[in-house]
Amino acid sequence: MYWLTKEQLLLLVKKLAEEYKIFGPRHDRVSGEVIFDHLSDWSELDLQAAIPYNPPKFILFPHYEEILKYRYQPETKEVRIEQINLLEPKALIGLRSCDLTGLLCLDRFFLDQEYVDEFYLAHRKKLFIISNTCLRPFPQCFCVCTDSGPAAKDGFDLDLTFTGRGYLVEAGSKKGLALIADLHLPEAGPEALTLKKKIVDDSVSSFDRFALENKAWISRATNRLTTGFIKPEVWEYIGNQCFECGACSFVCPTCSCFNIEDANLASGETNRLRTWDSCSFEGYTKMAGDNNPRKPVEDRRNKRFFCKLSYSQSKKYLRPGCVGCGRCARVCPGDIGLPNVVTYIRREITGESGE
Amino acid sequence: MPYYRGICNFCGTGCGHLLRVEGNRVRGVYPVSGHPLSRGRLCVRGWHIHELLQTEDRITQPLIKDGGSFKPVSYEEALDYVVEKVKKLSGRQLAVLGSPRASNEENYLLGKFARTILKTNNLSLSSDAGQEESARVLLEGCGWPAMTGTLAELRQADFILVVGGDLTKQNPIIASEIHHAHRGGTFLATISPRKTQMARLSQLHLRPRPGTIFYLLQGLARVLVEEKAIDDDYLSRFTVNSQAFLDELKQIEIEKIVELTGISREEMTELTEKLIESNSAYAFYPTGVQSLDRRTMAALFNLFLLAGKIGRRGSGINPVTGISNLLGSYDMGLSPVFLPGYASVEDELAWERLENFWQTRLERWPGKNVDTCLSEEKDIKALFVVDHDEEIIRHVNRIRQLDLIVYFGAYENPFASLAHVIFPRTSYIEEDGTYTNSERRVQLVQKRIEPPAGVRPLWKTLTNLALALGHDWNYHSVESIMGEISQLIPYYQGLSYEKLKTRLGLKWPADDLHPEGTDCLLVEEAGRRFQFVQVNGQEEKLTGEPEIQKEFPFKLVVGRSNYFWHQNSVMKRTFIPKREYNALLLLYPRGFVEISTEDASRLGLREKQMVRVVAESAEVRLAARISGDILPGMLYIPYFIDEMIPEFLHRQVADLEKNEEFFLPVRLEKVV
Repeated sequence: MYWLTKEQLLLLVKKLAEEYKIFGPRHDRVSGEVIFDHLSDWSELDLQAAIPYNPPKFILFPHYEEILKYRYQPETKEVRIEQINLLEPKALIGLRSCDLTGLLCLDRFFLDQEYVDEFYLAHRKKLFIISNTCLRPFPQCFCVCTDSGPAAKDGFDLDLTFTGRGYLVEAGSKKGLALIADLHLPEAGPEALTLKKKIVDDSVSSFDRFALENKAWISRATNRLTTGFIKPEVWEYIGNQCFECGACSFVCPTCSCFNIEDANLASGETNRLRTWDSCSFEGYTKMAGDNNPRKPVEDRRNKRFFCKLSYSQSKKYLRPGCVGCGRCARVCPGDIGLPNVVTYIRREITGESGE
Repeated sequence: MPYYRGICNFCGTGCGHLLRVEGNRVRGVYPVSGHPLSRGRLCVRGWHIHELLQTEDRITQPLIKDGGSFKPVSYEEALDYVVEKVKKLSGRQLAVLGSPRASNEENYLLGKFARTILKTNNLSLSSDAGQEESARVLLEGCGWPAMTGTLAELRQADFILVVGGDLTKQNPIIASEIHHAHRGGTFLATISPRKTQMARLSQLHLRPRPGTIFYLLQGLARVLVEEKAIDDDYLSRFTVNSQAFLDELKQIEIEKIVELTGISREEMTELTEKLIESNSAYAFYPTGVQSLDRRTMAALFNLFLLAGKIGRRGSGINPVTGISNLLGSYDMGLSPVFLPGYASVEDELAWERLENFWQTRLERWPGKNVDTCLSEEKDIKALFVVDHDEEIIRHVNRIRQLDLIVYFGAYENPFASLAHVIFPRTSYIEEDGTYTNSERRVQLVQKRIEPPAGVRPLWKTLTNLALALGHDWNYHSVESIMGEISQLIPYYQGLSYEKLKTRLGLKWPADDLHPEGTDCLLVEEAGRRFQFVQVNGQEEKLTGEPEIQKEFPFKLVVGRSNYFWHQNSVMKRTFIPKREYNALLLLYPRGFVEISTEDASRLGLREKQMVRVVAESAEVRLAARISGDILPGMLYIPYFIDEMIPEFLHRQVADLEKNEEFFLPVRLEKVV
């Protein structure tokens, strides 16, 4: 491990900016919002800021993205396809471990199955990732229940842990080591390991005090979801509260569903677009010929939580599909974010009364 | 590609969002958790506003109709064309239709243009008469034309009553606040013939027969009196005509109400008990296409006044606007009955003040709304229309006879093709502007992207047009228009861009007394006593002639739905909401009529079986959609536009659109 002073942090960003576009958490002054955003002004980077309201998913998997352009020439019956070059090196600075875990889930979905998604790959290829240990949890967090925090285990180029005096830096890749060498960061010595362990342990033990919004009971819920022993009434109750807005999918660091649209342009060309999609929409599972295997809202809700927590899905991600960031609970108009759903499942198991 | 903070422009909730701008394109949207009302939530529409802002269907240059098609012209040519024609017309021959999606500044200027330059009083918004009625009822009752309560304190309420509409679909985030309150222990009651999602979430759902909500509310007031649950002290101190109102109530017989509405006395008592027990109580009703009618709004207001829930912190009556700036557009006086700031057109002093302020003589003749102008006024020769598509298109034959149609719009749409001259305008994030949501919250939306080359904002085009007609308005920025608004309209007195830039909106009245805006109407600050609003419930026939009932036993009502929500042309430009819309169109390509499970089994109808809906003057074939959400005896057609509203409904739509309490007596026949 190495040491990085607060002052050196800006040097590090400057160094990275020579090669990468810089992304990181910043504050919106008027609303107080913490946003993970492209930073043209590095002084806006705030590693002490709370967990951003938006996960960095949009950087690799944008909300709305042109993936190719084509033009059909009726006279010659030719189609000209123009591929859009997405390759742009990006540095993500100050990723929370839940969001990094989410990114690794997206990798599994887009890259590690039979089919490799080249658009995702193009975004992913030249990425520099700096994760940031959470010294204490935020009110909505439950990453300790989903094995995704408060400190990152892998997937980063550099990992930072703030100690009060400066940052402990751990390298996770050759790129990371090279940057450390470039900046001539001093080695931290064996006591650093003990210090980091203490910081992470303190963070974990402070969940009871700070992470008060959500009490998730992930492992039992996983068991129930996997075996399918959840009464239909529980799903109906949940379905009744769903506003079908799609927000839970859009804010989820691991949700990867998308829609493809062809938009005709005034110029005669057509843009092929990829946009976020959500299993909460009726049109999402609708098939030709009117059939919809998931027509009722509760069936669609059921699907989402199955995807996040069931064992069969976890086999795909090699971990639960939920990373414990708590965002779905914050954005849900119907108050059925994942932690609440887990609560309803728990109540069913234990027979506790509702409300 | 930074995220910029802004305000969603779909419905009257006015949620905070972040737009991700890349180059000059909006590439995504995200909610803002710090927004005091939306608190980090958006609905399906809000989550896809960037798709709408991507559209290529923009109007990008002035156009003049040349034969059957449009030819591109310069702004100057288009201005000259309009000036030439307008000079030959008098104010009474002109009508102006504003857009409830346009900003306060744009609508203020449009009103000023109409009254001072065109010299016409025929100016209105689209046919959402509900908002005007609601403002009138509340002005009469308590002197405030909008929400008397606040949404920020909703979660602490003890009692919430939602009357009519389908709030979870129309204003999902306001509905979400109610839902949160309910989950936190607030007693939630819904009055609606239809089993809406809100009704399903409520502890108490009263399902009166269509057209009888008014009677039910009167009945509830009567029950309140009978239960001796009235606070006489409140009534005598704060109201002027409680005795007369109580006398009127005495004539109501609960048994009759029970018979008319189908609601039992016990159900009524359950609701009134909860209302009276509550310290903090709110009522909600929509004011858009699915609004209540005037007397129903009045009865609801009276019920809440009787219960002592008006003019107190933590309580109030909350009309909900369906379109982003519907309230603000009325604030700006874009109405035949209100001058800016809700001064009445019958108030001579208000006219004089306005003449003084605008430094010009104004016409006093009574104006009409555009709908009435087109259907009744033979003199109308010209129409000025801002961003409008479908609502007045039913007057298409009349519109075709006009000498001049000037259209100001950002997007291509079917209405624009009727125009003689078209001016492009900026979209809502291509120019600064303020928008006033249901809650009276005035929010500044700042310019985030450049408009297509050469496209001017509406305020500039209107200023150019004013100059071409001999009036030098001399506005240098949209901000200076807000300066003028704050001088003229007392509610907006304390508002400025400087202030709004550093805040997430301020609720009017914002004035010296309330520099940071006002949460709710307080009786101590109202400056007057409250009064019960006059209703004439007795005169009207309720269920029509018995013979008609025999021949047309079903009551047909229309309603909105999430994706098909008015101004379809807006939704059609998105991808995900459009997909959901098409999903239903594919299922029912020729439209559908909802029928209750009970009636369907009685008539032996299958899902998607073709039926004939027969009214007195016309009939239509539609597929049946069997639903547990509607009452037996009722039929329901969602308010879709052209593709699904058959010609049959087009003819009735003027009435059906008026309010949710209107129904059409029909009968249902199987197609064999």
